[in-house]
Amino acid sequence: MLELDGLTRRFDDVVALDGLSLTVRPGRLTGFVGANGAGKTTAMRIALGVLEPDAGEVRWDGRPATAADRAAFGYMPEERGLYPRMRVAEQVEHFARLHGLEGEGAARATAAVLQVVGLADQAKTRTDTLSLGNQQRVQLAVALVHDPQLLVLDEPFSGLDPIGADVMAGVLRARADAGVPVAFSSHQLDVVERLCDEVAIVRDGRVVASGTVGELRRRGGRRVRVDVDAADDRWLAGVAGIVAMDRDADGVVVALDDGADDQRLLQAALAAGPVRRFAPEEPRLADVFREAMAA
Amino acid sequence: MTARQATDRRALRGWPAVRVVARREILQRARDRATAISTLVTLVLIAALVVLPKALGLGGDPKATVVAPAGPAAALARAAHDAQEPFGVRIVVRSVASEAAAQRAARDGDADVAIVRGGRALVVSRDAKDGAVAAVQAASRRARERAEPPPPLPQAVVGEEDASGLAFVVLLVLYGQLLAYGIVVASGVVEEKQSRIVELVLSAIRPRDLLAGKVLGIGVVGLGQLLVVGAVGIALSAAAGRLDVGGPGVVAALGIALGWFVLGYAMFACAYAIGGALVARQEELQTATTPITITIVGAFILSMSALSDPGSGLARVLSFVPPCTPLVLPVRQIAGDAPAAEVAAGVAVVLLAIAVLIAIAGRVYGNAVLRTGARVRLRAALRRA
Repeated sequence: MLELDGLTRRFDDVVALDGLSLTVRPGRLTGFVGANGAGKTTAMRIALGVLEPDAGEVRWDGRPATAADRAAFGYMPEERGLYPRMRVAEQVEHFARLHGLEGEGAARATAAVLQVVGLADQAKTRTDTLSLGNQQRVQLAVALVHDPQLLVLDEPFSGLDPIGADVMAGVLRARADAGVPVAFSSHQLDVVERLCDEVAIVRDGRVVASGTVGELRRRGGRRVRVDVDAADDRWLAGVAGIVAMDRDADGVVVALDDGADDQRLLQAALAAGPVRRFAPEEPRLADVFREAMAA
Repeated sequence: MTARQATDRRALRGWPAVRVVARREILQRARDRATAISTLVTLVLIAALVVLPKALGLGGDPKATVVAPAGPAAALARAAHDAQEPFGVRIVVRSVASEAAAQRAARDGDADVAIVRGGRALVVSRDAKDGAVAAVQAASRRARERAEPPPPLPQAVVGEEDASGLAFVVLLVLYGQLLAYGIVVASGVVEEKQSRIVELVLSAIRPRDLLAGKVLGIGVVGLGQLLVVGAVGIALSAAAGRLDVGGPGVVAALGIALGWFVLGYAMFACAYAIGGALVARQEELQTATTPITITIVGAFILSMSALSDPGSGLARVLSFVPPCTPLVLPVRQIAGDAPAAEVAAGVAVVLLAIAVLIAIAGRVYGNAVLRTGARVRLRAALRRA
């Protein structure tokens, strides 16, 4: 289990992390979402030991993470990087060696992981002649080759075509199912929603909301979709307890606070015109995210 | 993939990590076309220097001067001149007033051979052309053949060996090699920084191990290239008759050059690594490394003074100024004017400089190498722990 506890880090005048705390549990896929500059990458770099925090602690299995612990972490940085002129298998094997595997063991692990990411046929291809999507697969192979006991990936889905994304999702799920804590950041909230067991929303260097996808959705409060043949949305003005509204082609989604009466909303809608649809709506993660960002 | 036990997990630190990094550098660079091309270009240059003048008939046979006082000695000198053809030298005979004058000419290197004692002994200058000596001996043998099977005339070697040519070649090669491989280190550091791979590497090993492995790996390739160039250069020179390979001076010079390459490279490579770590792109590299390059060029120019006068006060002082030491001391050693104590002191000074630079480079590298945006100021990179 990986725990980030009260991480603080500033770069000159910029506060990148402001007491960020987060737990990544074994066997769980944890999604890390937040606007650009929220501090996700800094938090991951500190978790991997590439950066030092000004304050706070990274714990692995309950005690401060050591270099030996970190040698067994797998990492895919946001700034992708590979040796352009190395062949795929050599490249992956080099990282296996950097993580302490030797000779035959490094070669075996390389062959196995290239199979997993679907690059076994490209083992002898020079890395810079691969398509970007396949280079990303090499990047994933590099993160996996030493059979890491923790996986941290910064925007692993960016730049992947749908097939590559499926491979990525499959690999991450498989690692989590094998009992490895897996954390990744993403801007694609639909991916996070579909894939993750838990989600942490980061804002201004802090986790502002976290929990399972279900928990976060419930936190979004009650929502009702109303489709009414009215000239405009002015009829909503008279209804008490509306905290937010969002119009799209299929009507308007109204967020209600806990005290609001949805029957009053229905009456107001009927008074405005014929009601074609009136139904409770599950908030999407994107809605929860937007609210967390606006709060 | 099965989960291994946590017990066989260990972080690579120190030598094991350095070795893995160095291995990659060596494999990549040994296979790199640029390495092969630069080796070839150097070899072609050496070959051109050594072989071409002879192949093109330029210069012809080397000139050799034989001096002798009038009398039987002068007659022998003329006989040697007449028999010079098979010996590959063009003998110039000069007559001198006395036997003492003849000896002096050989000692000062003005003459290759002085014929003395009425043609019964030779005084040979240390850097005399072998052909000249052989021609005189042969002429003497022929003159006395009728009497008895003649023993070769006794000959004594005098004067100082002229090693400045050898020292110059070593200086030139050392200078080129230090400059070239220092820049390879700097651009290798930037390459990793620019391709962002450094973050991935540093998630596995420590910055100083990455730095050390890089410097070591590139250094091994540089040393290997120096060995190849040195060996081929010596072989070519020997084949062209330009160099006496059997002479201890040549092998010693190669050893001295290799030793000072190792020390000088370690020193400059650290400096270049600092320069590389401070910039984000190859385009900015030149600006950041210019001070180091100027230092090496300056050291090279200053070292030229040691070439003409190895024993001068300037040369002795420069022997202990770290950027100059690896260029000045080998020149003085090869020219035969460096007491062992001064060499030892020079080595110590360079080792000290290396230790200081490694400490600085390790710190700067760790702090600056992950900053991929703008150029990092040296002071800022030193500050942040």
